[in-house]
Amino acid sequence: MYSISIGYVIIALIALIPIGATAGLFAKRKKAWFYTSATLLVTIALLSLFLLAYQASFTLLQIFRFYPFSELMTAVFAFLLIAIDALSYEYSADFISFSLFFGLSITGMLLVVMANSLITLLIGLELMGVPTVFMILAHGRRHIEAAIKLFVLSALAISLLAFAIALVSVYNPTLSISAALEASPLASTGVLLPLAIVLFAAALLTEAAAFPFNLWVPDVYEGAPGHVTAMLAGINKKVAFVALIEVFFSMILYFGYAFQPIFVLLSVATMFFGNLVALVQTNVKRMMAYSSISQAGYILVGISASTAAGLSSSIFYMIAHAVMIIGAFTVIIWLDGKNIRTVNEYSGVWSKNPLAAFSLTVFMLSMIGVPPLIGFIGKFLLFSSAVGANLLYLAFLGIINSVISVYYYARVILSMYAGRRYERKVRMADIVSVVVITMLVVTFAFGIFPGPLMHATSLAGNSVISAWPAPGAP
Amino acid sequence: MQGALMLVTFLPFVFLAVALIVDKERSLAAAAISSAVSMAILIYITVFSSINATESFSYISIIPISFTLRLSPASFMLLIMSYIVLIAASIAGNHERQSQKLAASLILLLQVAASGLFLSGNLFLYFIFWDVGVVSSFFFLYSLGSPQRGPAAMKFLIYEMFASVFLLLGIITIYFGTPVHSFNIAYIAAHAASIPVASQITVFVLLAVAFLTNMGIFPLHFWLPDAYTEASTQGSMVLSAILSKFGAFGIFLLFAILPAGAELAKYIALLGGISAFYAAFLMMSHKDIKRVMSYTSIMEMGIILIGLSSLNVIGTYGAIYAMLAHGLTIALMFLAAGSMVHVFGTRDIRTLAGMVSNAKAAAYSFLLSTFAATGLPLTTGFIADLLIFIGAYSAFGILGVVPLLAIVLFGAYMYFAIEKSVLSTKKESVAVARTSNGQAFGYALLVGSILLFGMFPFLLLGLVKI
Repeated sequence: MYSISIGYVIIALIALIPIGATAGLFAKRKKAWFYTSATLLVTIALLSLFLLAYQASFTLLQIFRFYPFSELMTAVFAFLLIAIDALSYEYSADFISFSLFFGLSITGMLLVVMANSLITLLIGLELMGVPTVFMILAHGRRHIEAAIKLFVLSALAISLLAFAIALVSVYNPTLSISAALEASPLASTGVLLPLAIVLFAAALLTEAAAFPFNLWVPDVYEGAPGHVTAMLAGINKKVAFVALIEVFFSMILYFGYAFQPIFVLLSVATMFFGNLVALVQTNVKRMMAYSSISQAGYILVGISASTAAGLSSSIFYMIAHAVMIIGAFTVIIWLDGKNIRTVNEYSGVWSKNPLAAFSLTVFMLSMIGVPPLIGFIGKFLLFSSAVGANLLYLAFLGIINSVISVYYYARVILSMYAGRRYERKVRMADIVSVVVITMLVVTFAFGIFPGPLMHATSLAGNSVISAWPAPGAP
Repeated sequence: MQGALMLVTFLPFVFLAVALIVDKERSLAAAAISSAVSMAILIYITVFSSINATESFSYISIIPISFTLRLSPASFMLLIMSYIVLIAASIAGNHERQSQKLAASLILLLQVAASGLFLSGNLFLYFIFWDVGVVSSFFFLYSLGSPQRGPAAMKFLIYEMFASVFLLLGIITIYFGTPVHSFNIAYIAAHAASIPVASQITVFVLLAVAFLTNMGIFPLHFWLPDAYTEASTQGSMVLSAILSKFGAFGIFLLFAILPAGAELAKYIALLGGISAFYAAFLMMSHKDIKRVMSYTSIMEMGIILIGLSSLNVIGTYGAIYAMLAHGLTIALMFLAAGSMVHVFGTRDIRTLAGMVSNAKAAAYSFLLSTFAATGLPLTTGFIADLLIFIGAYSAFGILGVVPLLAIVLFGAYMYFAIEKSVLSTKKESVAVARTSNGQAFGYALLVGSILLFGMFPFLLLGLVKI
């Protein structure tokens, strides 16, 4: 089969990224390494899309699993990582040493996405988390607080996860990702499995920053250098959601609706917490941190629906939010570099750089859920799936949250077009404006013609459900 | 003629490109031409094809959602009104000559929204065009309004977003209620009887909240006076004439789609009545001319609501005709008032004394629009009110006619106020106003349409087979 060889090629290319970065450490060719890494990522993305087109499904070396969900997420993350790579090229103090950590982190992320065993998952999450700490630290002492907070939190999450895996191994020593599920017939015999499930949830929700495990988010997002924040919000968090879906979704289906109330509660609490606290923020970066917490709540709406449609819509919204937040942070960090940080300081951005004002407006409108933008389609699918699963009240609470969020997004938007007028327009660096425009195009394109992406996400969602057919499913 | 309605809807994008390329003096002309061309195509379709033309294109295959556009007598009347108002607004509305390119682009976006919304044969599209309209109106209000527009724009956005999320939730709920899940309006209307009454009521309430907020019906109207007052002349014209019809048209669809709506019709009518009286009384305590007119709008919307909830053909088409009448009238009112405000530099009615001696066109247009709003014969308002109250009488008996008193109150106040201010010759006005050609054209177009559709209602009502 060609597809299996392509799988090997993808894994080899992923491995090439940290190896190449190490080599780059000696060669010191900044530009060359940027182009090389971007090419590697593009190739990975295109190959994964190719596999997705054929809906290839196979395992490699027992620890990697290729199926539409992992193929889609690999492609999406690889594309988005190029944007992060470009931003780091522009903003990081020492791009070469930064890229070493970045390359390791990329490996971790893609490992999580393709994981077929709990050990791969654990290693992947660790490999993603630890280098991120150093990516923050590489930008000087003033970021040390954010780095330590992130370090402590990811260490905590990883150890919880390791403990959960150890508990599951009692029931099933193979540690395949469905181990928890395969163990579940024994669930009634002891407390260990329920405990393991709770620990899994705690570990992964901490990484995904759902309420009540979200307290680290604002400080880290605000304290970290902008491009790292964009990566944390846009990609790391989504990787945690991917892990959550991989580990939990089959279990949710297996246990029927026993899990549903918990996820509904988490989702509602996360949305309300993020949105209500964001209302009173003045620092835009911090506001976006809280906003991204609330957006995690929306993603949980689809997971709570516990249906194929719900899962597909969660995947769609994950992708949509990653695009929007990376775009928004790209503008925010550019303004941050011009010492424009609070909502009041945002006044008159329109006259300073129309592209910045226009694109931030579009990203924020998209996060509110205004058509014809990608965020609207995402929210539409999420709330549809909730209504379709007889959770009308959850959809209702979701839309109430959308209204609340209008206030703080609109404050920023209003501020940008009024007040102060700058005499001189300031251009963005070319590479930054390319990132912004790309995200803008994606936001519009999949908002107006959502068909292809919806098709891909529904393939992915269905593949997760059919991957582990639940024994005696409800 | 497959594709003609699609052309009507998306033609403004071509003119948007034109408006952005040509110099700013001509950009508003491009917007006006766009509306005129769309109107011509629409009339051509009606005359040579059918008033019930439908078009369908595949859009999202996986759900499935098709891109369905359908013309109907109601949407035809509203579209004609929208295009006339948009032409008048683009040519005459911008006294201040500020940000003409931005204004032209927003007018063109609003044209897309209005065409798409009134033509949409699919609730999904209805929602998309609704939000396009809301967002472009928001920017209209926010970037071109008076200096105190900030809070008003924020209020507008929050209320309208509140409405639009309710709309979204209602649409999703109705989608899952239909036997074969569908957004198609014709399909839903045909199969709504099989939806359980309880869920029909849920859908009705969700959607009604959205539509009533958009119309500015008591108690969901608090955004409206501020928004209409602080917007620019063009902004007030399009907001009051076109955006408020989105909700009114929605209520019309809602009663047409859901049979269980009949049970709630009397409550909706009651809200309409309360709204009319509330606005008529509150109006009298205000001295700000634009604010008084926003209350007029709330009152008219209340009357329209009574017509729609009478649920008979006469009342319903009276309400549609009233939407047309209200659109033309309120646009003329805001246009005249805008020009007075521009000349006098204040919105206080008491300082407008002597208007008639220097700005005849504005003064007499204002007078005529007030006549039309009070339902004087030979104006559109008369036909509309007549039909509405015939419909309301047959539906609700004598109680249905009580809201006429609100119009009487409004008329009494307005005639009194106009006599004291605009028409007063006691005080010689110092301000000198020259009516430009563009403005003269705007007045002539709106006055002409009000009289034309007032004298020859069969031009439009003849399309309806009663």
